Amino acid sequence: MEMFPLYAMNLLYTIATLGLIVLGLAVVFGFLGVMNMAHGEFIMIGAYSAVFVQQAGYYPLLAIPLALVVCAIVGWLVEWGIVRHLYRRPFDTLLATWGLAILMRKCIEIAFGRKYRSIDQILPGTVGFAGIDYPSYRLALMVAIALFFAALFIWYRRSNTGARIKAMMSNPELAAAVGIDTARLARGAFVFGTCSAGLAGVLMAPLVRVEPYMGIDYLLSSFFVLVVGGLGSIQGLVTGAAVIGGTNVSISTLSGATGGYLAVLLISIVFLWLKPNGIYSRG
Amino acid sequence: MVSARLALFAILLAVPLIWGSFTAYQLGLFLLYGIVAQGIALCWGRAGFLPLGQALFFGIGAYLGGGAMKFAGESWLVLSPLLVGACLVPALLAWAIGILVFNRQVGNGPYFALITLALSMLGLQLANSLEWLTGGFNGMTGIPGLPGIDSYGGLYYVIVPVLALTTLALAHLLRSPFGQLLSAIAQNEERLQFLGFRTSGFKALAFAISAGLAGIAGVLFAAHDGIVTPQSVGYLLSAELVIWTAVGGRSSLLGPVIGAVLIGYLTAELRDTFPYWEIVVASVFIVVVLRFPNGIAGLGERLSWLSRRSLPRQANPERDIAIAPLEREEGTTLSFQDVHVRMNGVRILNGLDLSIRARGIQCIIGPNGAGKTSAFNVLTGRLPATSGEIVWRGRPIAGRKPFRVARLGIARKFQVPSVFPDLTVGQNIDIALWANRLSFVQLFSLGAYRWRTAVLASLERLFPELADPSVLARELSLGQRQMLEFAMTNLVEPQLMLLDEPCAGLSTEETSRMIEAISALATEYGWAVLIIEHDMRVVERLSDHVYVLHLGARLAEGSMEAIKADEAVRAIYSGGSK
Repeated sequence: MEMFPLYAMNLLYTIATLGLIVLGLAVVFGFLGVMNMAHGEFIMIGAYSAVFVQQAGYYPLLAIPLALVVCAIVGWLVEWGIVRHLYRRPFDTLLATWGLAILMRKCIEIAFGRKYRSIDQILPGTVGFAGIDYPSYRLALMVAIALFFAALFIWYRRSNTGARIKAMMSNPELAAAVGIDTARLARGAFVFGTCSAGLAGVLMAPLVRVEPYMGIDYLLSSFFVLVVGGLGSIQGLVTGAAVIGGTNVSISTLSGATGGYLAVLLISIVFLWLKPNGIYSRG
Repeated sequence: MVSARLALFAILLAVPLIWGSFTAYQLGLFLLYGIVAQGIALCWGRAGFLPLGQALFFGIGAYLGGGAMKFAGESWLVLSPLLVGACLVPALLAWAIGILVFNRQVGNGPYFALITLALSMLGLQLANSLEWLTGGFNGMTGIPGLPGIDSYGGLYYVIVPVLALTTLALAHLLRSPFGQLLSAIAQNEERLQFLGFRTSGFKALAFAISAGLAGIAGVLFAAHDGIVTPQSVGYLLSAELVIWTAVGGRSSLLGPVIGAVLIGYLTAELRDTFPYWEIVVASVFIVVVLRFPNGIAGLGERLSWLSRRSLPRQANPERDIAIAPLEREEGTTLSFQDVHVRMNGVRILNGLDLSIRARGIQCIIGPNGAGKTSAFNVLTGRLPATSGEIVWRGRPIAGRKPFRVARLGIARKFQVPSVFPDLTVGQNIDIALWANRLSFVQLFSLGAYRWRTAVLASLERLFPELADPSVLARELSLGQRQMLEFAMTNLVEPQLMLLDEPCAGLSTEETSRMIEAISALATEYGWAVLIIEHDMRVVERLSDHVYVLHLGARLAEGSMEAIKADEAVRAIYSGGSK
């Protein structure tokens, strides 16, 4: 009977981390209509911030502000230099950010080399409950993600900025006409997206393989979550993460990583085929 | 252009003699990648959708070709059918994927690109894990190559002619109606659907052709390298292929080959000595996307003396093949039966009942928001009906896709004229003529450019503005675009023509001529016309029967005199109490 609680915890952990990973892509695609192909590379920057802090021997949690600052600066520059010019050409933003992804991978490769890195655990050890021992860091991470999402949800519902974003999404011209600075708001949304990706990178770094080419996996799994969950609601995002994460964990346990990946891909194609606007769409 | 291409191929054939066979061997690899890039350019530069995982098909071709060569040994008899299969499998796979994705996704959003990328990732994983089939991480080794052809010598003289053949075949394809339809898809896929074209089929076919090209290149690659590793299916190669295509020029035939040879060769040379090279390439790619969509080939055209003449436009062939009118069954009846449409809690149509008569011109009027255009949308499959039924000639058609409705003889002109802006007037007319007529074989022959019909002759008489077929549609005035779209709606020879404010944006004189044209064509060819119109003078002059819509339902119908006398209609138009 030890299997079930462990499986359930792994599932919850996968959903929570997937939710954090997809958040940035969902914000940028949902609010701005921009498919940021370099999303995974911002996660990679976050992870390499942790590598840098560890190499320099600083306190590990310093990686969080470092990643946020780096991702904010890079995100700001990218929005200013590339994405801003392409809001009316969504297909070209896909290509330009794809080029950016290659650029970022190569820069990191030159700075840190191509080899795999690992990050020391911040919270080593396990916590025992329900007959299993579960890694403390994973537990802490899950709680932190849940709190982060709750805060975000309340802020989006209550704040003025949330209302402005909703206005910009439903009618950008009218929003601009009533005095909302949509250009600034769009830049803010883009930078928020890159920063949340960077944060995800730092937090995930101790648990995954850190290497220059790690981003593509995160991009694709985020994309799958968006396909299943649809755009525009936290509810959809969590459901998407649950479907994709659940399938991946279950099938991978039974038949290996390739099987899990294949199942996720098939589910995404089925969703594109039957429910192109996500699980909560009608028709 | 033709002489430039000939010169290029002459130089390619001379490479082994001038620079030696080792250079030719290295060059051969990038010529193969160039063939793959040509396929990407067909999808991306022409049809407007981007395959981001093209290495998958290259790799499948390579593995299948390599396996076939190992199996067949020295026997061409056994090998040739296997190699044909190795090229066809990727094409069929791509066709299936294309049908699956394009049937649901109209337009060129990111979904297709990311799905192909994910498939390429899956291919990489499978190639790594299926060791018994692919040799796993170390790859499939000991491939003997093509019988009797030395991989380091003779194979180059196979690769260059294959490249010449693919270039010729693609050049023909792009000139053919199929190529013109792909351009139209990239510009305005929805318009094609409302003309009755099943665009997903064309896109899937283009994708299949591109995958077939990748498969051919893959087979030759297996012979060339003698080893196939999982990298040949992976996303890194896919990404490089897209970059080469972009930098070389996605709208050109040889641009992608130039891109592959130039960037690919330089990358292979500089990767180890100059670590910043790939950063340079990625930056160039971003700049190309932002500023130079046609890459090196586009720059070359801009610089060359050719550009000082007017843009090279396809000569319009004489239209000298008379095509018989489409045979349509007699009798047109259309009825909306209690149709409701609700979107996000808003009632757009609220129990609409309408019976449209078989012939003649009928008008729909009503205040803004009455549901006039929505009635057209739900009829032509642009808007789903929440409940109720629409019956066309005894058949229920609510919820059918736009192209299926169009094929039943219902043509539509939009409120804001919807044409193919970067095609010429002549090409726009071609496409309308082809709707519901073009057979699969005619798709690839040039004869269809010479078609003319009786309706076209009538239209040319009525609209001398459209006489010059070489003007780009985007250069027309709003009124002329209205006329062009109206002409296209007529050319499909519908049984029922839906016109949404056909006189919007026209001058008084043009309005008169449009009215005359509508009435002349409807009388001459006997099709029913349903018009949404705000201008009561137009309604009065055209229509013998008027429907009044209000709040998503029918308020009144009858002759113009009866409508004018109707108390309820006067109330909504003059703002009186209801």
